[in-house]
Amino acid sequence: MLLLDYQNVLIESMLKDRFSGAAPVSIDQVVSDFDGVTFHISTPESKTKIRVSIHVKCFQELVQYGAQAVLEREYGPYIVEPESGYDFSVQVDLENLPADQEGKDDLIRRISLLKRNAMAAPFEQAFDEFAQRQEEASKYTSESAPQGVLEGGEVRAIHYREEEAIYIKASHDRVTVIFSTIFREETDRIFGKVFLQEFVDARRRAIQNAPQVLFRHDPPLELEGIPGINTSGSGEVGYITFVLFPRHLTAQRREEVISHIQTFRDYFHYHIKASKAYIHSRMRRRTADFLQVLRRARPETEEKERKTASGRTFRVQA
Amino acid sequence: MANQTPAVVMDNGTGYSKLGFAGNDSPSFVFPTAIATKGVGGGAGGSGSGRPAVANKPSFLTGGAGPGGHLSGKRGTEDLDFFIGDEALAASAGPGYGLHYPIRHGQIENWDHMERFWSNSIFKYLRVEPEDHYFLLTEPPLNPPENRENTAEIMFESFNCAGLYIAVQAVLALAASWTSSKVQDRSLTGTVIDSGEGVTHVIPVAEGYVIGSSIKSIPIAGRDITYFVQSLLRDRGEPDSSLKTAERIKEEFCYVCPDIVKEFSRFDREPEDRFRKHTVNYPNGKSVVVDVGYERFLAPEIFFNPEIYSSDFLTPLPNIVDTVIQTSPIDVRRGLYKNIVLSGGSTLYKDFGRRLQRDIRHLVDARIKASEARSGGAKSGGLDVQVITHKRQRHGPWFGGSLLGQTPEFRSYCHTKAEYDEIGPSIVRRFALLGGPGST
Amino acid sequence: MSQSLRPYLQCVRSSLTAALSLSNFASQASERHNVPEIEAQSSPEVLLNPLTVSRNENEKVFIEPSINSVRISIKIKQADEIEHILVHKFTRFLTQRAESFFILRRKPIKGYDISFLITNFHTEEMLKHKLVDFIIQFMEEVDKEISEMKLFLNARARFVAESFLTPFD
Repeated sequence: MLLLDYQNVLIESMLKDRFSGAAPVSIDQVVSDFDGVTFHISTPESKTKIRVSIHVKCFQELVQYGAQAVLEREYGPYIVEPESGYDFSVQVDLENLPADQEGKDDLIRRISLLKRNAMAAPFEQAFDEFAQRQEEASKYTSESAPQGVLEGGEVRAIHYREEEAIYIKASHDRVTVIFSTIFREETDRIFGKVFLQEFVDARRRAIQNAPQVLFRHDPPLELEGIPGINTSGSGEVGYITFVLFPRHLTAQRREEVISHIQTFRDYFHYHIKASKAYIHSRMRRRTADFLQVLRRARPETEEKERKTASGRTFRVQA
Repeated sequence: MANQTPAVVMDNGTGYSKLGFAGNDSPSFVFPTAIATKGVGGGAGGSGSGRPAVANKPSFLTGGAGPGGHLSGKRGTEDLDFFIGDEALAASAGPGYGLHYPIRHGQIENWDHMERFWSNSIFKYLRVEPEDHYFLLTEPPLNPPENRENTAEIMFESFNCAGLYIAVQAVLALAASWTSSKVQDRSLTGTVIDSGEGVTHVIPVAEGYVIGSSIKSIPIAGRDITYFVQSLLRDRGEPDSSLKTAERIKEEFCYVCPDIVKEFSRFDREPEDRFRKHTVNYPNGKSVVVDVGYERFLAPEIFFNPEIYSSDFLTPLPNIVDTVIQTSPIDVRRGLYKNIVLSGGSTLYKDFGRRLQRDIRHLVDARIKASEARSGGAKSGGLDVQVITHKRQRHGPWFGGSLLGQTPEFRSYCHTKAEYDEIGPSIVRRFALLGGPGST
Repeated sequence: MSQSLRPYLQCVRSSLTAALSLSNFASQASERHNVPEIEAQSSPEVLLNPLTVSRNENEKVFIEPSINSVRISIKIKQADEIEHILVHKFTRFLTQRAESFFILRRKPIKGYDISFLITNFHTEEMLKHKLVDFIIQFMEEVDKEISEMKLFLNARARFVAESFLTPFD
């Protein structure tokens, strides 16, 4: 597996199973997703009504950045009153599904992307803001632009994990997405550094059209004056900046770009772990190798005297 | 505690892996413990438990990314190219992939494959960041401590999981039985009959500790029942006697009867009630009808009368259970008889528990009677034999893990990453007993 | 093998062969005990002069002989923090399995990455020149392994980064 899925596999497979006309059963499952997101899939009223609720740590922030509108657009008629303890709920009735297979598949896809959609709001907002600023800025040449037009707008901060956050800032010619990241483990920190270096270099070397990636330990300029930023510049915290250029921000691509950039942190951590697993398997093989060399140091056990059927003995000539 | 992430419960068995989150009543994912990897050499020859098998097969040493060191030539990403579970089965049907089962007889044999199996389980299926979650894994009884250490090494060093608890499957199966209304006290003493696809174990557990010396296993389990059904179908010349059909019939129609002779005559008396028909649908749209007859009760009968199936293993299951308990320390035997817990897919036949309870009771009563006669007049107070059947039997160990993993004190029983870093892998040789006396 | 490595390994080989003339020697400190004197350090008269073979400041071998045991400690080359962490990981992995390595010490001595302890019992059971071969081969391969792992890591990082960025292209 190289790239992570955008959707939640469990929700996807469960709904697929239900929608295919299998006998309705009651469901009650609490499942996790990355970044401390919790889903609750249940059938509270009757076996045919499946409710999916989501709890996101930073839901308040997301709402502030327009999550409600995005979710309403995506799930419109399916939205129900949020279950207590959760932030947002949708409910589908198996007796009232879209008639055609395509519609069903689309609904499954939408619901399994619940986390992605909830998190997408600030990105969408920033992308919109960019479009607006771009238009405004195009009215001026770079010299004559009045104060404020060329500078970026406000920074949208999403504290999606305990100690890590995503910052999004739109300006007239780009959208900057900054991930703050923290490493507890020495090994991870060093592996992470190697990986990030390659992220930074990749654009220069191979993929010219990719977003520009920057990595530094002290907070980048964009984050100046944002509360809650650790300015000590210690080695543990790092800031990864993705600069999305207009070509990434077009209407037809934004869907994909938002989904993809969201998975960055987990993708990054997944691969650090996968490399450690690979290194483990190398070390296992090498250890076995060394053991074999060492075993050669043991002299062969004395050959037992061999007898033929008639009772004569013989010795193998060296 | 709403913000606390649920613990991840993973029960990796020889045949199937059960994955999910603590607190749920069923695993989120159940799929074969299989991994499909590219090529034959890649990843093969993994070494287990510090005594690698590699030395005996030097040809493997050069396989994959071995000492040959032709890394610079390739991109070194073969190790990401694999599938697990049902996808593995699908991939191995096509060209290029070889199928492996990293667990043999309950124990992990190939650590390379297992590590990748876990990696994919966590990131693709469960979708969790292991740093945020505590993990509850299971192990078979009599698992060597080196295997535990290897497991901990992988879980902590590769995945940085927040905390780890490794529990014995049989003990978890006992905990799972607490959901049954028959269980009054939540004790961890009992006899676990764990019957899966490959083998059936009878495991006595006293206060949460497995009595290793008394464990017995029986070479009759789900697969044998399937074969038996198949052979009966063949003998009758049914239109379809494939293994798959036999399995379906086993799962849908089989039950345990109190007495075979009576059951035969009952079948003859009221055939329309007893004989069934099973329709097999083929992918090409055709279908055939298979008659289902005596195998309905004969198949599970091989537990109780193995001679009808096998010629080398002849001891019935109730006798084995009795022997196991009789070889256990005398002071726990009463508890072992009173709490015989079923676990695994092959114990799900209707009335399996009832029949087992009756048969064991007969054995016990006969022994008591004999000793009463010998002692000349002394009266025995009797012995309570109880077989517990409950709803969560199929995934018993997983459910037990889910039950214990959601208790508030679960985390305090785990070893954390910090402790591991401080002490090293040997830390997992000991775990405080979860769900034992003093908790809940 | 690079030109400068050969004399280094040759030197270790001959020093080690010379040091491995061990004999059974009962402890003088406690009766009916037989301890590796180099570890016990209780009788200075049975300890021989330790010897360092050094290729450069980052790569050296420290041989401490005594009458019934030899301790060999190796400092493995580590040019940067990646190599440092890989060496650390690898030696830890090995010492974790010290049981099956017979001569591997569970803890390296201070300032070195990995230590071996060979006693007269080992030399009685195993062929001496093969033990030396093992140490030499270990030194050769460990360097190779570390640099290969580092290469792997870089290649993987590049691949991972490119794969993530390609969809943006």
